[in-house]
Amino acid sequence: MMNVKETTEISVRGLGRQFREGERQHVVLDDVSLDVRRGETVALRGRSGSGKSTLLNLVGGIDTPDTGRVVVANVDITGLNETERTLFRRRHIGFVYQSFNLVPTLNVADNIRLVLELNDVAAAEAQARIDSLLDAVGLADRAESYPDVLSGGEQQRVAIARALSHQPAVLLADEPTGNLDDATAESVLDLLDKLVRKTGGTMLIATHSATVASTCDRVIELHNGKLDGRA
Amino acid sequence: MMAVTWRASISYMLRHPWQLLLAMLGVGIGVAVIVAVDLANASSRKAFLLSMDAVTGEATHQVIGGPRGLDESIYADLRVEHGFRAIAPVVEGTVITGEVSLQLLGVDLFAESEIRTFTGQGGGDESGTESLFREFLTSPGSVTMSRRLAGELDIKKGDRFMLVADGREQQAVLLDTFVDQSGGLGKLLIADIATAQEWLGKAGLLSRIDVRIADGDDETLSALESALPDGARALTAAGRTRATAEMSKAFMTNLTAMSLLALLVGLFLIFNSISFSVLQRRNLIGVLRGLGMTRKQLFAIILAEAGLLGIVASVLGVALGILLGEQLLALVSRSINDLYFRLSVTNVSVDPASLIKGFVAGVGAALLAAAVPALEATSYQPRLALARSTLEQRTRRVLPYVTMGGILVMIAAIMLLAVSGRNLVAGLAAVFLLILGFSSCVPYAAGHASRWLAPFAHRIAGMPARLAIGGIASGLSRTGVAVVALAVALSATIGVSVMVDSFRGSVNQWLEQSLQADVYAGVQRGAMDADLVEALSRIEGVEATSTSRRSWIEQPGGRTQLIAVRMAPGSYAGTELLDAEPRDVWPAWEGRDAVLVSEPYAYYNGLAAGDTVTLPTDFGPQSFDVAATFQSYEVNASAVMMSRATYDRHYRDDGIDTLGLYLADGVRADDVVAKVKDLSAGRQQLRVDSNARIRELSLEIFDQTFVITNVLYWLAMGVAFIGILSAMLALQLERARELATLRALGMTPGQVGGMVALQSGGIGLLSGLAAVPLGIVMAYVLIKVINRRAFGWQIDMTVAPDILVVSVAFAVLTALLAGIYPAYRAAQSEPAAAMREE
Repeated sequence: MMNVKETTEISVRGLGRQFREGERQHVVLDDVSLDVRRGETVALRGRSGSGKSTLLNLVGGIDTPDTGRVVVANVDITGLNETERTLFRRRHIGFVYQSFNLVPTLNVADNIRLVLELNDVAAAEAQARIDSLLDAVGLADRAESYPDVLSGGEQQRVAIARALSHQPAVLLADEPTGNLDDATAESVLDLLDKLVRKTGGTMLIATHSATVASTCDRVIELHNGKLDGRA
Repeated sequence: MMAVTWRASISYMLRHPWQLLLAMLGVGIGVAVIVAVDLANASSRKAFLLSMDAVTGEATHQVIGGPRGLDESIYADLRVEHGFRAIAPVVEGTVITGEVSLQLLGVDLFAESEIRTFTGQGGGDESGTESLFREFLTSPGSVTMSRRLAGELDIKKGDRFMLVADGREQQAVLLDTFVDQSGGLGKLLIADIATAQEWLGKAGLLSRIDVRIADGDDETLSALESALPDGARALTAAGRTRATAEMSKAFMTNLTAMSLLALLVGLFLIFNSISFSVLQRRNLIGVLRGLGMTRKQLFAIILAEAGLLGIVASVLGVALGILLGEQLLALVSRSINDLYFRLSVTNVSVDPASLIKGFVAGVGAALLAAAVPALEATSYQPRLALARSTLEQRTRRVLPYVTMGGILVMIAAIMLLAVSGRNLVAGLAAVFLLILGFSSCVPYAAGHASRWLAPFAHRIAGMPARLAIGGIASGLSRTGVAVVALAVALSATIGVSVMVDSFRGSVNQWLEQSLQADVYAGVQRGAMDADLVEALSRIEGVEATSTSRRSWIEQPGGRTQLIAVRMAPGSYAGTELLDAEPRDVWPAWEGRDAVLVSEPYAYYNGLAAGDTVTLPTDFGPQSFDVAATFQSYEVNASAVMMSRATYDRHYRDDGIDTLGLYLADGVRADDVVAKVKDLSAGRQQLRVDSNARIRELSLEIFDQTFVITNVLYWLAMGVAFIGILSAMLALQLERARELATLRALGMTPGQVGGMVALQSGGIGLLSGLAAVPLGIVMAYVLIKVINRRAFGWQIDMTVAPDILVVSVAFAVLTALLAGIYPAYRAAQSEPAAAMREE
């Protein structure tokens, strides 16, 4: 039998997060605990405002919890300072967002190269990865194009390539098909699933789409900041 | 406008206090500089006119003579033989008490009541006035002055005090004070005419005779003119005042131009602030358009907002301008005192016209600046109003046309320069058109440069550097304005620095050439004691001497300085002749009635070698040949130079005011200076200095003159600094999501902050690079056109590379400083908050 510690990529314990709204505190996450195994794809489902994005931000280290611990790739990121969390995120986390968030002033290849440069990947190696990823997402001929001339589906495929370029331990996707039509959403989802599984990565995907959730190994429901059932 | 939209507008402004503050600063500082310069100029001019009016009194005409003045018998003749009653003799000169230089007015109290009233104001009743008259006549050295001046000098009624007149110490006693109701008599000392004649070494002479002739009484005027002997002329008092005031007109025009430059830079800032507030609300504008608000309504909202902001900021700017005006007035009046005439002005006189001018300029600029983004925003289709990239795309599309327009404006400016002759205002208008035209080309060039530089930045400092530099092009709607604002401010700095530097170089060279003697001794106003001149010439080690006499000759067209020179053998090379050969000029100049005219005099009067010029002499008007034009950078450089022999033939004046001493080899100038001081002690106070020291002092005065220029361009730089700060804050706010993405992808706060700072530095670099060509063109126009038209000087233009390097470095530094706060804010931004899906 495998050691649980060795196979758990994401471990969340007693996670709590509140936001101040004027005079009152709004509880977004309340005592959330969950484990995600290495190589597992997990869908986080819930209504708007249920805390899905906040949970992803906490797991990705771009936000800090009020209570609880988050351990990713055997690192307790709640114990890290801002710079340490940034460097951890840079190396181990990949993000895909609903609104793509490509850097508008960089072309497709450079959007991917940005992450590789941040990770000190040598130029030749970086170019090889860019070529390979663009080929994989079907945009080999758009390397020099800027985001504003790409369709939504194309932009999301670039975002996926960028998120996987540095071979992160965990890919966090926040409503990755939310801005796409059904057909495009399906192809993007296929691509995401295929690439993540191919690299053996772990994926946590926030969605309210049953279709998206159905492609994942496991589905976890978030309701008013709490997990429904066993996580 | 609907009440709800008003509320939305005001609420928006109040929720963005920093943005509001920056926009108000832009308008406010621009208005303040305009008001300050205008008030300082107007106050100086008003003080001058008040003082001239107070001294002139009711006189409509003034009878003047040659350099020596008028013989006092002319006055007696006019009064006794010809029966003129409304006339008063005046002896005028400068005296110094302590460090204060005062105007001494010697008057005949019995004749005064026809012309002036201030001389009797102190005593109150008639018997008091009579006793004042008596004491004036019986007590030697009696003077009166205004109560304010007595207070400033700490002299009380009955006090004795020392003053220096014509280089000699004299004892004066303050007999009485008077109330200076007009405020124009702040630096005036009044004495009996005999006292003034004695102190100023003008025994038997008058400076002028004031005459009151009723308006339109041509008969009396003709009678007066025909009663005057040769060499005496009657000029209108108003004309003389105007001619004196004209001397400083070019100086003041240049100051006004500098203040307009500050407003121009302020205009960019206002444009940036207003367009940013419009841009930030593009979503709201899209929604309002979608809800059915018409373009006209939206346009009105934006303009009303800008108008409100303009009104509030302009009111504050006017208040700030009054405060700033007081500081500026001290500098302006010092410059005018150094350069033109004695000015007593301590308080800014707040002229409503100046305030209104500043206010209208501020509100107008705010509305003008808002009109462009308002038109832009209201031209969106409702759904397009939601997209930021729309604006950038439009900017990219429009820029080539704007650039073409800019080139046409520059061509128009060059044509205006070519056809406007000697018109100074047209010259300044051309400078502004050049700036405007060039500014219109800057964003296009900056965009291309940024795209071109981005890969280099990438190679040197990686992707964040590329993002920073490339971002200047991709956010050109915002960065372009910042680049222009800084480039304009900086080009003015370069233009003025190159001009001042070139000017200084030319003046230095001219001083080196023209100061041929080793030691100069002289009196500032008045004449040197003839025996003392003789004694100084015999000092051991003095091989040769030269003398000069400077006086003013007045003509209806203005005042001209007449310089009578006796050159030392071999010292002719000290005068640079511009349009004739020395071997032809000097014999003619020494031998017959030929004169040299200074370059400014030649320029204003359209003269050159070979022409003739008619000057008033003590024996009536006389025609002189112009032998050559000579170079002169003296302050009152509109001058005619004649040989002493020629001067003596035409003017009854044997005075010398400066003596040049040429020393034998091995004799130290300092030793001779000491001997001159020894010999003159107790006889006459002389200004004595070696030529090296005079050169040093002259350059010090030169530098002081440009202090005010420095102050104004620092203000322009301040406005540009705020422009960059607001542009960087705007960019950072607009790109919050992009910056958050970069943070999410693993850029550290330091990297994001560094990127913002680098972008700011990049704006500085591009501004600096753009400012160099514009600055050099401005310097060229300032030197070859503006200075020429304003002062008649020709200056050799030299561009010192260090001015350009320092300016570009300064631009980068300014921009980096302005980028610190936006960079800090970018580094502190929380990615989680910015990334939240809308």
